[in-house]
Amino acid sequence: MNLETAGDRLVLLMATRLKWLAASLAAGFFVVLSAYWYFQIVRSGHYWELAENNRLRVLRLEAPRGLVYDRSGQLLVENVPTFRLLIDRSLSADLEASVAFAANILELDEDELEDSLERYRGVPRDVPVLLAGELELNQVARFEVAGDMSEHPEFEIAASQRRLYRYGDQTAHLLGYLSEPTAAEQDRDPTLVAGDMIGRSGVEKLRDRALRGTAGERTVVVDSRGRVASSGDVDRIDALPGESVTLTIDLGLQQEAQNLLEGRVGAIVALDPRDGAVRAMVSSPSFDPSGFAGRLNQEDWERIVGAPNRPLQNRAIHNTYPPGSVFKIVMAVAALSDGLIDPEERVHCGGSTRLYDRRWRCWQSRGHGPLNLRGALQHSCDIYFYRLGRKLGIKRIARYAGLLGLGRRTGIGFSAEREGVVPDPDWSRISRGQPWYPGETISVAIGQGPVLTSPLQVAVMTAAVANGGYRVRPHVLADAAQPPEPIALDTEVLAFVREALANVVANGTGRAAGTPVVQVAGKTGTAQVIAQATWTRSEDLPFKHGDHAWFTSYAPVERPELVVVVFVEHGGRGSEVAAPLARRMHETHFGSPVQT
Amino acid sequence: MVLLSRPDPRTLGRQVRSISWQLAGSALGLSLIGLALISSASSELTTDYVSRQSAWILAGVLVLVAAALVDYSVLLRHALWIYLAAVAAVAAVTFFGHEAGGARSWIGIGGFGGQPSDFCKIATVLLLARRLARYRSPVPPLGGLWATAAIVAVPVLLIAQQPDLGGALMFVPVIAAMAAIAGVGVRSALAAAAVAAALAGALGVFALQDYQKDRVLSYFQPQTDPLGAGYQVRQSRIAVGSGQAFGKGFGEGTQSNLRFLPTPHTDFVFAVLAEEYGFAGVTLVMALFLLYLGNGVRVALAARDPAVLLLVVGLLAFIAGHVLYNTAMVVGLLPITGIPLPFLSYGGSFMLFCCAATGIIIGLDLRRFVNV
Repeated sequence: MNLETAGDRLVLLMATRLKWLAASLAAGFFVVLSAYWYFQIVRSGHYWELAENNRLRVLRLEAPRGLVYDRSGQLLVENVPTFRLLIDRSLSADLEASVAFAANILELDEDELEDSLERYRGVPRDVPVLLAGELELNQVARFEVAGDMSEHPEFEIAASQRRLYRYGDQTAHLLGYLSEPTAAEQDRDPTLVAGDMIGRSGVEKLRDRALRGTAGERTVVVDSRGRVASSGDVDRIDALPGESVTLTIDLGLQQEAQNLLEGRVGAIVALDPRDGAVRAMVSSPSFDPSGFAGRLNQEDWERIVGAPNRPLQNRAIHNTYPPGSVFKIVMAVAALSDGLIDPEERVHCGGSTRLYDRRWRCWQSRGHGPLNLRGALQHSCDIYFYRLGRKLGIKRIARYAGLLGLGRRTGIGFSAEREGVVPDPDWSRISRGQPWYPGETISVAIGQGPVLTSPLQVAVMTAAVANGGYRVRPHVLADAAQPPEPIALDTEVLAFVREALANVVANGTGRAAGTPVVQVAGKTGTAQVIAQATWTRSEDLPFKHGDHAWFTSYAPVERPELVVVVFVEHGGRGSEVAAPLARRMHETHFGSPVQT
Repeated sequence: MVLLSRPDPRTLGRQVRSISWQLAGSALGLSLIGLALISSASSELTTDYVSRQSAWILAGVLVLVAAALVDYSVLLRHALWIYLAAVAAVAAVTFFGHEAGGARSWIGIGGFGGQPSDFCKIATVLLLARRLARYRSPVPPLGGLWATAAIVAVPVLLIAQQPDLGGALMFVPVIAAMAAIAGVGVRSALAAAAVAAALAGALGVFALQDYQKDRVLSYFQPQTDPLGAGYQVRQSRIAVGSGQAFGKGFGEGTQSNLRFLPTPHTDFVFAVLAEEYGFAGVTLVMALFLLYLGNGVRVALAARDPAVLLLVVGLLAFIAGHVLYNTAMVVGLLPITGIPLPFLSYGGSFMLFCCAATGIIIGLDLRRFVNV
């Protein structure tokens, strides 16, 4: 019984301890429950967001880039489907192994892929980035299999679109090309992401914003391995396709111009002198813009940039040249406008003359004999214009050259358009730090010396003569026409010059431009390169010293519709090399005989 | 030797009425909630965990009834033999069992698999209860305690060696609770704790696998390695927090269904609950556990035999330890280690252990008026 009592006492004691233990257990439950309260009630918003970020992924819907048509609605640029390879680096167990795997399928160099990944260093790791473009279908299949088998869940195939320039190098300078935005550009424009393509030159750059459209977004549910669940989109904002663009360009004329320059270095510009609508603008050598459509590696880039004669340069606007005798149009307009000469007054050309203690030669060493202004233009006599130059003086020459659109940007809108040079004493002092020498005026009078113009500027100058005194603003976009700017020129003066230019083609140095299809007026130019070497900085010295061949023209003579400027770098004589090309351009444009 | 008590027609009605229905009911309720969670969490998995768990619950009910019918006095009397058999089974598995999930602890039984360490828990508690109850003085002498400590140390070390760190860890609250109830003095307790700490330290240095060390370390800095060991803590916490007050609804848990959550049907089933049913669901399940444990404590308090009291406390401590550790681990309060949630987590042998423990407690409750 005693033992029984002791047992009872022990049980009682234990029961007391158990109550304490139960109380601490309850306290433990309270602590844990408090933690759940904290996370589920106090901090629930934060964790809700984290859960949403876990499961939702926003996929970009690329906006198809706008199409580009020529003036008659012919498609110049379209988009074709292509597959691109993206990589989500956060899902890769071993990035080096991933790159090796991709390089093997793509048959590319591992280092090259690693270099392209290097550019995404600043992009968060779980944002898929572009690894390669333009995959072939069997490559797509292999990446899809690797993703499904969970061997390489980091790879994603994205259906995308690639730019197809239907006429390749024939429209390359005009339409331009695309490339990925740099990190700095992405910072500036938040709508741009790595893997986008933006216009880098030509129309692609000029109308980039409109062509680009607005990317959309697709919000999808993904599992922990990044695979998109089949439940459909959580949210979707469709992409807004880019606007289509219609150009003023005439595809047939553009193609003809490029064909004419095949094998030559130079540029051809054709525009409507009534409003400045550019009908053709080509530069040779050209390049294949499809090389830029995908990812361009360093090697390809260097090959294009470093190719002979700089194919990326658009010679119609990116470079300037001495205009040679084409400049005599400016001289004639200046002289007649200021009434300084009697156009019928004859000047004798004996092949050379002496001015400012120097001997000046005519290109025709036999001499032209006595010539009036009309005859001097017809035969492009240098002696006549040397004397005219001395009479006009450099300031007057520069003023009229400027009025007619030389030595200033035409406003076509393409980047890196060069201004050229219309020299005068102020320019000499500021740019060269030396005074203007009167002898230089004599050189400028025949388009030599420091004067530099682009083929497009010559087209604007010619248009002003052809349209009766309006400086047009060249444009390639059909909706970008601006009213031509009237320049205070006497219509009779211009009528005289037009008659003389028609005579150049009919009877003078421009005969090679004559065609039965349409009556053409024009002016030849043969710019000496070697002469300018005396003042050009050495690094700008041309690699060859042959003459530049020019021919500027318009047709029909009455009510002109088309200005054609042909420039062939180191091509030789304008009359022999450039004029025949201009004729082919007019024939292509006017095709059948036109009524005048 | 009567293993099962003979039903007495005169007292049967009274006995049935006095069954602790709250204990059995809360256990069944928790099991059914667990089944629902497993069904949600495993909807994307190929294995049919729901039917398997249903089978385990049915088996668990049978085990519970059987355990309730067993006469505890018989069990206590043969505690040593039961214990030795259990330890032998654990040792066999430790050295000859096949590996599953990096741990050698499963014995294949008809494709389901079972863990002898769960059976060993009951055996150890039985023997401990018998030994600690023998000291009929308020404070047992220190010397006798070493034999008691060895009873625990052998299975703990074997289980830790498998390696099943969580399983070994879960002995700690059991020893602590039983020692506290038995009245082991503060000095003895500190000495035992020091020895245990030294053992654990040695184990940590020599026996812990690298992944286990990572897990322990990641507990302290979960953000450092988001896709490594800390990833699980982080994803689990996101699941819990995003459940908010009322949860996302059945099958709507994105963390579990999109597999951000690790092992959503076993160790992290409570995170599924928290995500899909929110703080309300968490509170309900915790309340059910409290109801279960409270009823268990009531059974212990009604006991007239110290060994019975200790046995109930030991079993309850196992359950409570698992509940507290698992729920704290899911919310990131404790390092992640393989500790399932009683009644809710998928898994056969642990379910059977819980049901057996519940059955024993119910059986002890039924016999509280019966003289030994």
